[in-house]
Amino acid sequence: MMKRLSLSLLLLVASSAWAGDAAYTIRATELKAKPYGDAQTLRSLPPRTKVEVLKRQSSWTQVKAGTTSGWVKMLSLQLEASATGRRSDNGLSALFNVAATGRGGSTVTTGVRGLSEEQLKNAQPNPQALRAAKKYAVSRSEAERFAEEGQLQSHDVDYLSGGR
Amino acid sequence: MRAQLFIASLLVSLPVAAFDLGGLGNIDLEKAVKVVQKVQKANADVSEPQEIDLGGGIASNLLGAAPLWDNPPVQRYVNKVGRWLALQTERPDLPWQFGVLDDNDVNAFAAPGGYVFITKGLLARMNNEAELAGVLAHEISHVLRKHHLQALKKGARSELMSDLANDAIKSQGGDPRLSKLVSAGTEIYARGLDKQDEYEADRMGVVIAARAGYDPYGLPAVLQTLQSINPNDSNLALMFKTHPALGDRLSLLDGLMSESLADREGQPDLAARFAAQLGAK
Repeated sequence: MMKRLSLSLLLLVASSAWAGDAAYTIRATELKAKPYGDAQTLRSLPPRTKVEVLKRQSSWTQVKAGTTSGWVKMLSLQLEASATGRRSDNGLSALFNVAATGRGGSTVTTGVRGLSEEQLKNAQPNPQALRAAKKYAVSRSEAERFAEEGQLQSHDVDYLSGGR
Repeated sequence: MRAQLFIASLLVSLPVAAFDLGGLGNIDLEKAVKVVQKVQKANADVSEPQEIDLGGGIASNLLGAAPLWDNPPVQRYVNKVGRWLALQTERPDLPWQFGVLDDNDVNAFAAPGGYVFITKGLLARMNNEAELAGVLAHEISHVLRKHHLQALKKGARSELMSDLANDAIKSQGGDPRLSKLVSAGTEIYARGLDKQDEYEADRMGVVIAARAGYDPYGLPAVLQTLQSINPNDSNLALMFKTHPALGDRLSLLDGLMSESLADREGQPDLAARFAAQLGAK
């Protein structure tokens, strides 16, 4: 019961993660009534149109452009960098105890441990931690059961070639 | 070995009178043989057990830099997602090992042989399981394509890589030369891989996520989120330094994905399971 409650609470937080972010179009983009290529075009948005992000669905993002809500291709957008150095919270960072104040660029990382360039160059082995990590390894059959629980179905998809 | 024999037999079969070797012939022959040996060595690959041992050393160093997050349910969850992804690849049976590092930095790491780590700071910025899958699949691709081994071969320790490939260095038993290779492997995290390797891992990562049944747009969604973080945030410094610009990565994926992955777009992102698993501590 308790678990159920915290679950739905988190869901609420997580599903609103993209909401409220400011973004702008990086090219001329059609604002569609539905998240499909052949859906009705509501408006044509020129490059650098400011929009408010409502939610994302696969390659589409629901936005509000002025007073009109609709869908644009996700990768036609660039999210604005937030002034605090963090995008709007996905609700999980508090849970994880990730610094909520956003470390500014002037913060110098000191100390022996950490993942800065210097620290990685001077890293000392920790075989004990590696053994501890191995405890969590998952077998093929466990992974398959996990996929089934999530109703994940595997498909044949060819690797994409080229690009640059 | 074969080439050495070939050169020797070539020389024997030549009519001696046709060449005035002037007493230097033997030296030249030795030189030629050495060159051939060197070429052979440089082209030899480390075996899979050696790759796994070397990767284990590098992973151990990484865990020396940042501890494993003390959250067994999440560690288990990330391993399940990762292993399911790895099963969709050409190396399904490596001893795949995934982990979340207890660090606020935003980054992810792969080590040869099947080791993949993401930071807590990166996990905290994800919204669903498809995004987690996209990032893990990018790292899995580095392992599949042996990008770190290639970087080591090209680097200052290339001779040691040859020695390892030729069994002159044992990958177990504490050879100090192996520690040098492990250190060089760890330093790649500070320097970064080849840009083309990163683009390749992006291209492969979205496909592996799609094969596993996820919304393939998880990886681009994470990259887009990272774009919205203040670039001066020190938590992103190393990730930015060691990877191509986010805008370039996104525009390359955009072109390729809209052509080839359109019919996989409706696949689930499992936002609910992600939220439940991460809140289960």
